[in-house]
Amino acid sequence: MAEVTLSRVQKSYGALDIIHGADLGIHDGEFVVLVGPSGCGKSTLLRMIAGLETITGGTIRIGGRVVNDLDPKDRDIAMVFQNYALYPHMTVATNMGFSLEHRGTSKAEIAERVNWAADILGLTQLLDRYPRQLSGGQRQRVAMGRAIVRNPQVFLFDEPLSNLDAKLRVVMRGEIKSLHQRLKTTTIYVTHDQVEAMTMADKIVVLNAGKVEQIGAPLDLYDRPANQFVAGFIGSPSMNFLDGTITENGFAAPGILLPLPQMSLEVNGRKAVYGIRPEHFALDDSGVPAQILLVEPMGSETQVTMKLGETEVTGVFRERILLSSGAIIRVLPDRANIHLFAVDGGPRLN
Amino acid sequence: MKTEISPRLKVFLYGLMCVLLIPFVFPTWWMVTSSVKPISDIFAFPPQLLPQSYDWTTYRKVFELQPFVHQYWNSAYIAAIVTFGTMIVSSMAGYAFARIKFPFANTVFMIVLLGLLIPSEVTIVPLFQMFLKAGMVNTHWPLILTPIFGAPSVFATFVMRQFFVTLPVELEEAARVDGLGRFKIFRKIALPLAKPALASVAIFTFLHSWNLYLEPIVFLSSADKFTLPQALTQYTDAYGGPMWNIQLAAATLTALPVLIVFIIAQKQFVEGLAHTGLKG
Repeated sequence: MAEVTLSRVQKSYGALDIIHGADLGIHDGEFVVLVGPSGCGKSTLLRMIAGLETITGGTIRIGGRVVNDLDPKDRDIAMVFQNYALYPHMTVATNMGFSLEHRGTSKAEIAERVNWAADILGLTQLLDRYPRQLSGGQRQRVAMGRAIVRNPQVFLFDEPLSNLDAKLRVVMRGEIKSLHQRLKTTTIYVTHDQVEAMTMADKIVVLNAGKVEQIGAPLDLYDRPANQFVAGFIGSPSMNFLDGTITENGFAAPGILLPLPQMSLEVNGRKAVYGIRPEHFALDDSGVPAQILLVEPMGSETQVTMKLGETEVTGVFRERILLSSGAIIRVLPDRANIHLFAVDGGPRLN
Repeated sequence: MKTEISPRLKVFLYGLMCVLLIPFVFPTWWMVTSSVKPISDIFAFPPQLLPQSYDWTTYRKVFELQPFVHQYWNSAYIAAIVTFGTMIVSSMAGYAFARIKFPFANTVFMIVLLGLLIPSEVTIVPLFQMFLKAGMVNTHWPLILTPIFGAPSVFATFVMRQFFVTLPVELEEAARVDGLGRFKIFRKIALPLAKPALASVAIFTFLHSWNLYLEPIVFLSSADKFTLPQALTQYTDAYGGPMWNIQLAAATLTALPVLIVFIIAQKQFVEGLAHTGLKG
């Protein structure tokens, strides 16, 4: 187990900057998820920590030791790859013990460690099989087994669940989380799936276009996103945004006036983006009118696509709404959960 | 997607394949049957598909007229060394071209590939002069060194490179994390996975060396150093006319190991070619 610290870490390919000076501190035993859209640089950052990519600038420390110029094998890390990267010509047991074999570990100890890992991951019956004889979930477990068998200081996961079907993904998510709770090894996990990030992380790092947008606990990011990008990325269905102006009477969006939270009036007259999550609308006769465009009953809740003034938004209600397209309902945004952001991707205002 | 073929179409396709088989199978059939015919029957008209009488002494004469066992050994050990050497050179070079980043890698690869465009007839004279200076004429060295570092090896390098390009990079990255250096990654991960491509390289190279004709007749002059294709031309009567039945018996014996190797390894051969994107 170890702390991982990134200070002003940069990556460029020629003139193209991929990572723009990332700062990140990961505590001993923490489960940190790097999340962001495709091409945001999250995998590159992970590969830089692993030593599979060189770094252009900055410092990476693992367990207090600067590892910038160390080979992956000398960083005491283990990595689980997106496509598992199991050696096709080796059995499960050989795959898992391969790294130990190359570190001069005795055969007896290798067997002991492999059996221990296989026992934890439910692979004992599969040790003599080849990767081609395993299902996707089993391969995923072997990849994890290969990582834990070495007892490294840090686990690195690069989108490990993206090749699995939705149901198996949920199962494996739970398994990875419980493995972490059992081993308490510092873990850095990359995903583009914000649900994975929310459910697994102790701390989420949201990346966009090579920049760290926000670092925080999952619910902190959900409740207090630092900017419009984070607000839109975290949460499903995603937050609604309305462009408009902050006035004394409320937020003037095209065709509608929306209530504002308690805040200083210094921002009066300022153009801003009004953010509200779909579940923070309530059906209320004192609310603003909204024209229904689409009703999607989910059973436990109802998802409604509606028009607030001239802007299309999504609302999620606990109530069952039996109205059809074109009907008018009155909805009230929850004042405690209204987010105001500066225009053009600027910071949070309230 | 699996498509259903009607029985009628199936019969037609099999019939067509049988017809197409004739140009490939007939010469072999002719060679084998003629090797046990008396010489007068070989050119009889109408041609005899099956021998009317069998003359098995031709096979004994093959060994009496030439040091055939010795020549067989020459061909076999040269082909074995060339095959093994080419497998080593081409797998390492192919891996380097596919995976190691070095300046002008693609340009160098193109230049190496250009070697394939130069016919061996063009290079044979300078090669002869080179080996003459080195005192290697009338030895087996030219037949070993030329293919290992010449055109056949370039082709093999191309085949191996094409295979290594298709290997997932993550496998090597996983090996790096597991503690392996470049050479161990090549030996422990890349090479074991390259068995199909190596098998096709081995068959190609073995066949090429086994059938080599121009180089032996240029570089070798004593009968005990001859290889099989060259030895086949030596079965002549007192007037220089070919003794067809004995020659064809020797040819049958020459073709035998190649046939056996191909039958054993044809699966790998086809798989290996499939990986390179080449068609036969």
